[in-house]
Amino acid sequence: MSTKILTLGNILSRPINFLLKQNNVTSNLKTNFSTTPVACVNFFNKLPAEKLWKSVTSVSNAGAKKGRGRGAGRIRIRDLNRGQMIGVGRINMLWPGLSAPVIRGRELLKQQRLPDDQERLEKLIKIRDSMTKFRRLKLSPIERGWSGTKMPGRSLGPPDPIGEDEFVGFDTKVLQLRSLLIMKGNLGRTRNFQAMVVTGNGQGLAGFGFGKAKEAPAALRKAKNRSGQKLMHFEIYNGHTIYHDFYTAFGKTKIFVQKKNEGYGLVCHRAIKEICQAIGIKDLRAKVEGSNNLQHIVKAFFIGLLQQRTHQQLAEEKKLHLVEYKAENEYFPKVVASPSEVRTKDQIQKNETLDFTQYVMNDKVILKKKKFPRFYETMPHYKIYLKKYEKFRNHEKIRLNLKVEYGEVKSFLNDKYPEKAESEA
Amino acid sequence: MSLIFRKLARNNPRNIITDAQLLVISCRKLSIVPSIYDGEDPAPKFFSSNVQVLLKRLTRPDFNKVFRKRTNQGLVVLKTPTYKFLTNEELEEEIAKANERADRLLQMPPVVKIQQHIEDVLSKDPALVGYDTAKYIFTDITFGVANEHRFIVERDPDGYLRSCDHDVRKRLNQVYFPLLGRKLREPVMFTDLEKFNSLLDREQYEFVLDRACVQYEPDEPSYQKVTSMTYQHIDNKSKYELLRSTRHFGPLVFYLTWHQTMDKLMLELLQSGAVREAVLLTALRQDIHGDVANGDVARTLAQQILPTPVQLTKPEILTEEDIQLDSKCLECIEKYIVSNSSMKSQQELALQGFREYYQQLVDLSRGLQKAHGKQ
Repeated sequence: MSTKILTLGNILSRPINFLLKQNNVTSNLKTNFSTTPVACVNFFNKLPAEKLWKSVTSVSNAGAKKGRGRGAGRIRIRDLNRGQMIGVGRINMLWPGLSAPVIRGRELLKQQRLPDDQERLEKLIKIRDSMTKFRRLKLSPIERGWSGTKMPGRSLGPPDPIGEDEFVGFDTKVLQLRSLLIMKGNLGRTRNFQAMVVTGNGQGLAGFGFGKAKEAPAALRKAKNRSGQKLMHFEIYNGHTIYHDFYTAFGKTKIFVQKKNEGYGLVCHRAIKEICQAIGIKDLRAKVEGSNNLQHIVKAFFIGLLQQRTHQQLAEEKKLHLVEYKAENEYFPKVVASPSEVRTKDQIQKNETLDFTQYVMNDKVILKKKKFPRFYETMPHYKIYLKKYEKFRNHEKIRLNLKVEYGEVKSFLNDKYPEKAESEA
Repeated sequence: MSLIFRKLARNNPRNIITDAQLLVISCRKLSIVPSIYDGEDPAPKFFSSNVQVLLKRLTRPDFNKVFRKRTNQGLVVLKTPTYKFLTNEELEEEIAKANERADRLLQMPPVVKIQQHIEDVLSKDPALVGYDTAKYIFTDITFGVANEHRFIVERDPDGYLRSCDHDVRKRLNQVYFPLLGRKLREPVMFTDLEKFNSLLDREQYEFVLDRACVQYEPDEPSYQKVTSMTYQHIDNKSKYELLRSTRHFGPLVFYLTWHQTMDKLMLELLQSGAVREAVLLTALRQDIHGDVANGDVARTLAQQILPTPVQLTKPEILTEEDIQLDSKCLECIEKYIVSNSSMKSQQELALQGFREYYQQLVDLSRGLQKAHGKQ
């Protein structure tokens, strides 16, 4: 109450001319108003955004063929409406019914100006900038192929079912995806995609196929489905490796494949590794020599696998028992295959190859290159190093033994001379 | 066991059993008391050819287990297997060689009497009394001398020159001529009873016995204690299968037979249908103690059984000779159960079960032979 009385008092105390000035407001309105039309037209408000953007980003036909307007320096179309809302602008106004509800609680909201949002423009610019930057597709490490986001090495899933026959347990891996350029009479140089994939169920069934199309996904799909139609069955020895070493070649590509024991893993070309995984081979070593043509490698490896002979076949060919010796089983002679009829020693010819590896390699001998000593081993400092560290060579074992015996690195002398141990620590 | 006693004690007021007594009884039943061969020398019996043959046969060697993968031999990756083309004769030679290697792998650790202290004063020199406060030990480290014949003597501060005792000898031999895997100090797994028992509870019998063989000499008291506790644990749990096809099965059977506690093993043999091995076990008892009622029958039967191949699996088809031999075995075992066994009812039950199963097998194989048109 007291404040109201005070304000009343204020008005009363003002001079009368204050009231007179208020009546002169109307005269100010007349000053700078005109009704004549002004032509504010330029191409920014004449043309739609779509056309404006096209004028900035478009590349000529010839330029597009050369690959202009692609890659890092490319200008991208930005959607300037992103992050903007009707009713929210530079001046932060509250518009009931547009940017705010009409009734909040029991109160009827009124149109009013709110304090300005300083960060609004920064946020908008940030959103616009995020559209311009070239963002690389991120793949999870499980989905990733041999290299980055490239297709080779990536999984495509099983081939599409044919009728009601589904490919259960199959998985497809891309081995190669490349673009080919073809000359056409009316179109000139056109681009085609070629894909090579391998599919398999990891239990001996596998096949590879090629697909060509104008687009990469179509080429991959074609190749995948074609590979499902070309399945081959491969015998796997003990569920983990091949039956024997073999040599195989296609064109100028030569592959030497070696059988390995359990736990060795796949030590070979990445494409051969994918093929082995599709088939279900777990342990093998392969050395590719000659041409590195990927299609030739794949073809050569499949041919080599198909030309393998099982142990029973080998025993029948030789008419001799085939016996396996494993170091971990103390070289116990395990008969892996016996022929129906065994030859005696007199029936074996003198010039016959009896060595197993030589026989399965078809008398081909692998050239094993001499291993040279490491570059530092011939240097004088290496000898000094060896001499210097000779006396420490057993220390690691001793430390371990002391830890077993005392729970820490100490010796029986520590109890006798505790002061020495303390000073050292 | 203690529960039953407690109930008895409650029901019968006249039966006065104190808690202390109860504890003693329960402990004796549950815990394992180590025993050593300190009475009669078991070596002559153990090394006699009869007993050796029986023990080896009872081991039931299965080459898949004898030549199983034990370690990676310190390699990260296993070596690549090699293959050979062999004729029949070459294969037989190779298998004969493998048999020799299997014999070496299955060579049993000797069972001998516990060692006696060495008290052998070589000379007494009063002039050297108080010469030094420390003992002097002299070791002959000539190359090529066997450890047990090595000349190791000590000169005590009191002027005596005497031969060293076994523990000092072992220590010095290990210092100068270290054996692979043997430690100067006893491993904790043998000294700490808790750790040792946890190993036994985890059924790591072969590991324990192998390590004991490396660490100790067969006539050491510690070796005999460790092995006897392991054998008793195996016997209590009837886990004989874990030691079959290993070199420790022979000493286990010998231990059980020597201490007249082989009836649980006999029961296991009958339950698994190995009647022939049961007869061999009876013959073994006869050889060691000579207290079996029909011991001579068992011995002659054992001579007949030994040439037959080892039965790793239950037979599917029987020949007439097999049936004859097995029925003789059955009779022999029956007599043994009546006269010598300490687990009569259980063994009789097992034998009855086997008899019924065997009769079915006999009918089947005879029927099959008839169907094939053989006599």
